Amino acid sequence: MGATHSASEEVRELEGKTGFSSDQIEQLHRRFKHLSGDQPTIRKENFNNIPDLELNPIRSKIVRAFFDNRNLRKGPSGLADEINFEDFLTIMSYFRPIDTTMDEEQVQLCRKEKLRFLFHMYDSDSDGRITLEEYRNVVEELLSGNPHIEKESVRSIADGAMMEAASVCVGRMEPDQVYEGITFDDFLKIWQGIDIETKMHVRFLNVETIALCH
Amino acid sequence: MDGAELAGKIVYTWLTLVLGFILLPSAFGVSLGISELYMKILVKTLEWATLRIEKGVSKESVLKNSASVGIIQRDESPMEKGLSGLRGRDFELSDVFYFSKKGLEAIVEDEVTQRFSSEELVSWNLLTRTNVNFQYISPKLTMVWVLGVIVRYCVLLPLRVTLAFIGISFLVIGTTLVGQLPESSLKNRLSELVHLTCCRICVRALSGTIHYHNKQYRPQKGGICVANHTSPIDVLILTTDGCYAMVGQVHGGLMGIIQRAMVKACPHVWFERSEMKDRHLVTERLREHIADKKKLPILIFPEGTCINNTSVMMFKKGSFEIGGTIYPVAIKYNPQFGDAFWNSSKYNMVSYLLRVMTSWAIVCDVWYMPPMTREEGEDAVQFANRVKSAIAIQGGLTELPWDGGLKRAKVKDTYKEEQQKNYSKMLVGNGSLNSELD
Repeated sequence: MGATHSASEEVRELEGKTGFSSDQIEQLHRRFKHLSGDQPTIRKENFNNIPDLELNPIRSKIVRAFFDNRNLRKGPSGLADEINFEDFLTIMSYFRPIDTTMDEEQVQLCRKEKLRFLFHMYDSDSDGRITLEEYRNVVEELLSGNPHIEKESVRSIADGAMMEAASVCVGRMEPDQVYEGITFDDFLKIWQGIDIETKMHVRFLNVETIALCH
Repeated sequence: MDGAELAGKIVYTWLTLVLGFILLPSAFGVSLGISELYMKILVKTLEWATLRIEKGVSKESVLKNSASVGIIQRDESPMEKGLSGLRGRDFELSDVFYFSKKGLEAIVEDEVTQRFSSEELVSWNLLTRTNVNFQYISPKLTMVWVLGVIVRYCVLLPLRVTLAFIGISFLVIGTTLVGQLPESSLKNRLSELVHLTCCRICVRALSGTIHYHNKQYRPQKGGICVANHTSPIDVLILTTDGCYAMVGQVHGGLMGIIQRAMVKACPHVWFERSEMKDRHLVTERLREHIADKKKLPILIFPEGTCINNTSVMMFKKGSFEIGGTIYPVAIKYNPQFGDAFWNSSKYNMVSYLLRVMTSWAIVCDVWYMPPMTREEGEDAVQFANRVKSAIAIQGGLTELPWDGGLKRAKVKDTYKEEQQKNYSKMLVGNGSLNSELD
């Protein structure tokens, strides 16, 4: 009776790779099984059963991010059809809070990883640049529910933001210079000095297992 | 012939015991105190088991902290705060941060699906089905557990099945007989007696221990009784303390027989499946029923589906449009002794009943609450929410605005659009867009 840890070595391996504690991994594993319906892999359709997620305007981008080969570190582009538990944890680990005990270099690395995750969300064709079209696409999704906002205003919002980005990255542009798109380095430049850590992490609780008197 | 004689004798003694100790007292509403004794022994055993588990606990502890704490600490701040931090301009890449974080939180844990699986216990109650996290502690504990299994399956289960069988047959036969009588107060009294006796028998079939609070607010004739729904047993629990007219669909099979028999003795409201779709028709019939002050109060479960008894979900407004006085009732089960929640997607009715009958007991509290009526200027939805809050507070349950129908269906598009409208309102509201826009 009771849960036997026959796979405790696997758990330790996962601990090392993703940085979650073994209790958190266990909890996430149960969530994974619940989402996948006890199958060993999850497909896109399995995310349809989460009511809270339905309200999110960029839902499809988030789900896509789970299957993105670049996030899974499996290749430079393309989407996987299904992911297993290790992949699930890999994606989750992008949202772990930055450990304050790490040294400066490590912190920078973590930050870069998080920003790269976000960059991938915008850059849907995996060409390494966020073009105006891709940017517009994201803005449209975010504003898609409101019938009062017309396409024109969506475009102008996107255009305005791109101009800002261009001015930050390239400085003054010649009149006939075409701004290709935001590269990852430009992306990093935009965010330099701004603390994004609190915005992009989910606080995983350390589920301390303690005995209780009932 | 000795074997057959012996078997015959055993069955005979068994039945006599059952009759003497259980059936007759229930007919008279008297309790012999056997259940109380059983519960005391049970509580002592479970306490002992918990202490054993604690002693056996080492650094790698075994029990979970709290049943309802999740794995993540959700950022409950409203959207405005979440987005405001990094905004300097109209639209920032940063807004995507916020939404992706929210999205991930939803994927890791969402409030709604949690409610459709059984509540997790803090300490083990010696039933294998709840020991998701428990590891092997000591031989003594295992022995007690084995003893528990034997007691539950070999002693309690046959007893309970017998009782249930007797209870249901008595109900069917009794109500059919009473139904033959002409309309009179004698008939009503007899039908009440039959109903009450059978319900008491059935409750003992589940080893149910029920505490009723505030009996002075018990639903009166001509009113509507409204309660939170956890399982089909809710009906049994409420009807043990008073007679109600039930509302529901006509089923086939055993349920159908029971329904048809019951309606002969006293006017329940059963609908054909096709009629259920027509809300007007349903409302009309119910209105007719409560207009007649001599008819029993109607029992309705406005959530529409079984929830796991940690929270109360959205009350459908249909029952609150009928008018009349609403008598709210809160039902809270104690999960320590047995899980009453019917997860209809996981278990069918028979396996559910089997699980319930092999638990230790069903212990619950029922609170009757003062009657409520719809106030001036309040529409059905607001009234429904008011009643829902009252029930949630009384029963110590959390309140969720979600629809119980989400167990099977997806979120309506209107909800999705709300969120997006909010967001775009914020964006446009900042005002630095073209003035053509409103």
